[in-house]
Amino acid sequence: MSTQNNETTYDTRRQIIFKRVMRYTFVYGILTFFALLVIIPFYWMILTSLMTPDKIASDIPIMFLRFRDMQFGNYYEAMFAPEAPDFLRYMGNTVLVAAISTVGTIITTILSAFAFARLQFRFKELFFLLLIATMMIPGEMFVITNFITVSRFGWVEMVDQQYYHAVLAMTLPFMTSIFYIFFLRQTFKQIPNELYYAAKVDGTKDFQYLWKIMVPIARPTIITILILNAMGTWNAYIWPNLVSTRPAYNLVSNGLREFATAIEFLPQEEYIGQQMAAAFVITFPILVVFFLLKKHIMRGVSRSGIKG
Amino acid sequence: METIEIKLKNLTKVFQAKNKEETVAVKDFDITIPAGKLVGLLGPSGCGKSTTLYMISGLLKPTQGRIFFGDTDVTDVAPEKRGIGLVFQNYALYPHMTVKQNIMFPLENIKMEKEKALERAYFYARLVGIDHLMNRKPVQLSGGQQQRVAIARALVKEPRVLLLDEPLSNLDARLRLQTREEIKRIQKETGITTIFVTHDQEEAMSISDEIVLMREGIMQQKGAPQQVYDEPGNLFVAKFLGSPPINLFEGEIKDERVMVGDAQLGRVEGKKDQDVIIGVRPEGFKIVERSSLKVKVDYVETIGRDTTLIIEKPVDPTITEHSPYIDEDHQQENDHVEDDMAVDEDMQRLQEEGSIEETAPEKKGTFRAIVDADHRIQPGDEIKLAVKPHKMFLFDKETGELV
Amino acid sequence: MLEDRHDFKAWLYLLPALILLIVFTFYPIINTFMIVFMVDYDFLYGDYTGWTLTGNIQAVLGHRQFWPAIRNTVLIAFVSVPLSVIISLFIAVWLNSIKKLQGAFQTIFFLPYVTNAIAVGLAFAVIFNRDYGLFNYMLSLFGIDPINWVAPGSPWRFSMIALLVFITWNGLAFKIMVFLSGLQSIDKQYYDAARIDSASRSRIFRKITVPLLSPMIAFITITSFIGAFKEYTAIVGMFGEQMGYRGQLITIVGLVYEALGEPYVAGSVSLAASAAIVLFFMTLLLTIFNMWVSKKRVHY
Repeated sequence: MSTQNNETTYDTRRQIIFKRVMRYTFVYGILTFFALLVIIPFYWMILTSLMTPDKIASDIPIMFLRFRDMQFGNYYEAMFAPEAPDFLRYMGNTVLVAAISTVGTIITTILSAFAFARLQFRFKELFFLLLIATMMIPGEMFVITNFITVSRFGWVEMVDQQYYHAVLAMTLPFMTSIFYIFFLRQTFKQIPNELYYAAKVDGTKDFQYLWKIMVPIARPTIITILILNAMGTWNAYIWPNLVSTRPAYNLVSNGLREFATAIEFLPQEEYIGQQMAAAFVITFPILVVFFLLKKHIMRGVSRSGIKG
Repeated sequence: METIEIKLKNLTKVFQAKNKEETVAVKDFDITIPAGKLVGLLGPSGCGKSTTLYMISGLLKPTQGRIFFGDTDVTDVAPEKRGIGLVFQNYALYPHMTVKQNIMFPLENIKMEKEKALERAYFYARLVGIDHLMNRKPVQLSGGQQQRVAIARALVKEPRVLLLDEPLSNLDARLRLQTREEIKRIQKETGITTIFVTHDQEEAMSISDEIVLMREGIMQQKGAPQQVYDEPGNLFVAKFLGSPPINLFEGEIKDERVMVGDAQLGRVEGKKDQDVIIGVRPEGFKIVERSSLKVKVDYVETIGRDTTLIIEKPVDPTITEHSPYIDEDHQQENDHVEDDMAVDEDMQRLQEEGSIEETAPEKKGTFRAIVDADHRIQPGDEIKLAVKPHKMFLFDKETGELV
Repeated sequence: MLEDRHDFKAWLYLLPALILLIVFTFYPIINTFMIVFMVDYDFLYGDYTGWTLTGNIQAVLGHRQFWPAIRNTVLIAFVSVPLSVIISLFIAVWLNSIKKLQGAFQTIFFLPYVTNAIAVGLAFAVIFNRDYGLFNYMLSLFGIDPINWVAPGSPWRFSMIALLVFITWNGLAFKIMVFLSGLQSIDKQYYDAARIDSASRSRIFRKITVPLLSPMIAFITITSFIGAFKEYTAIVGMFGEQMGYRGQLITIVGLVYEALGEPYVAGSVSLAASAAIVLFFMTLLLTIFNMWVSKKRVHY
């Protein structure tokens, strides 16, 4: 059935299908290509972590491993060998620091977001503007003075820093976040005012209203904040590196980096397997959290991009 | 449940915006709402009716005046201590709680024993007919069901006063009819003093024992619906009540005769000659053999029971522009004025919008007459009309007051 | 009641955040600014021997690593940001045009965002290893001799290329996600209308997608530039704390932390503060420039 004779030429059914197939082949092909580029470093991390030094140093890189060739010993070496860094301990430290700073952040955030969303008070707009302005300032400006501050609190003693000092120094400056306050305030503001009036008529106190009505309604946002904050701590490097003076107080990123620095001038292929094993061990929990709570995380991130 | 009357004395509310500009939302409101009655607070958007309701609830504080529940002055009493139930336009159900939890919530606040609270919750759920939905979340309910939950939640504390803020405006037409009967029934069964805010005159008239008309913060008239309809105190009331709305003519009183141009509509006794606005209810016309009001029929709307004639006005009908009291029209849209009580400036802005808001007036140059369906009338027919004397009202052209 | 102000109550709710903000946000802004003008500031006791208007700024400008740091910082920003913005925009558009496997691809592309930059940086270092890395193997298929990308002795330009690959890779995830959510919020009617007007796909992309997305593109570009100016962790992850062979990949932030790493050395905290101020003004300049451009260019 050809319509070639018409003035405008229409594609035949066959041509349409052909074009569509070509298009999808192209789109899926190119997406797969980029997806591979994204995955390769992770794949390489896992692959290398399972190789013996001679396999690592092979002239032609080994791209696949059979199960019986996998060298799980690297994981044991990295985690439990006496001379290896104490990654279990670092993970413990990180979990503790993440938990404390996240709980702190969520409490201060909920309280402040409530004040901004629900209460009328003097200087509200001015204070709000001030907070927005601070978000423009690079974090390094804060880091310098905060380092001085926690040092003066006696939390960064070079000689005998106590564990709780290190934990305090790592958590306290991060127990509030202007960005999360805005984020939650937006959600709180979407709750109809009538809910508040109804609660008032029923004799609900402000604090009760916050915990019984607003927090449950805003739960998805609060969960997003919890996850993003905890993940931030898990991946934090700069600040913990500055304020912890003993290897035992390392968070995972610092421990991993110290390990890498320690082996820099040693025969690398001897240790790279262990190093990649350690890298994967600290990446793995994040991946699990990510796959479990994908929706919350992506939602938060997309939202943070739209605020502009 | 004890029933009490509510007395408002010189109730005034002034909102102040950031720039110190003041808006008077309610002015010198003086009224007694009889115990056990259902009273409809009626008016166009921005008339201050919701503000009044919120002041009665205690959510807003009056600028002046007192509020009495029975003999007690409650003006400075906190909302939760007043013994009121409040139902919102959007129901304000807590979305994360089940119906049961929603209804129980007020009782938890007063720390009522769980057994007793549950019993109470079920009693009121049954009263409003939602006891089979107790474990659902609000999103799983229809608008009408949500409405009932809201009423049950308001009643469960066994308040002395029930306040309803535009409770039907979020429902579709059919449900609205059904729910308003339901509200009437519940009110009768509980005997609770009820105030009902609406912008819909039909709604107010159909269920209220008494209606109170408000306009720009000032009470216009109160009384039984039929009485207010039959004896409007001013042009605004006459215009606001009735559907289709009252017909208005610019005319005059001359030698005790009511004239529109050359046509005589009726006679009045003891009134001096003056220009007036003449209001005639659509059902106030009858077709007669002899009359000076000769008109040509433009359109005919037949609905079976009766017939509406749309007729060209006998005189050039430009009255609407001049009189300040005539451009008022029915506000059929939601009275969202008081939605954001916490933000004064918003309130003010909306208030202003509300008061300047105008829907297109009835097509100028025509009026409506509702006549018996027995008359077979075609468009283009010339007919003669007479006016039933008690369906005609004369208003001062300047003030809009009844002459 | 409702319209009443609750000054005391409100500030009580704000108090926990407020205290933390005063100590760790507001005070530091002022203090860091002041340190810039202090001579021989002692970070533990707050002592200083005098004031100087430009002394510390001059010290940082005269620092042997300052100009390399500026060069590296600007280079990283001006290469990685446009690259990652363009690539992620295309990926987002392609991703938005498919239904099957969209979720799976989305998840994969998002992975770099959640994972630890140090851990992934180490993996990149392995891939870019001179002797047994995957990258050199790929190049060898085209007859290119092994290049030392990462290890000590690596020439600056090769280290920089490897770093740029990593940084661009690392920056894709966030941008893809944001662009995709932006694309999904564009009304489908525009596309239907354009299709009926028989606009070609590339025309639709240029005349509809990009203009409608331009506020978001502008926002992402500016925040990415600011982020790229602060690049540090990725470099440490891949190259170590000394920031490449002989510090050749130093950035402004690297300079800040290098100075802050030895706070007992006289003047080093002031040097860190001065470097941070330089960064602050670079950011400010960029923000102002961006506002100026987006006023003219962004279609809403």
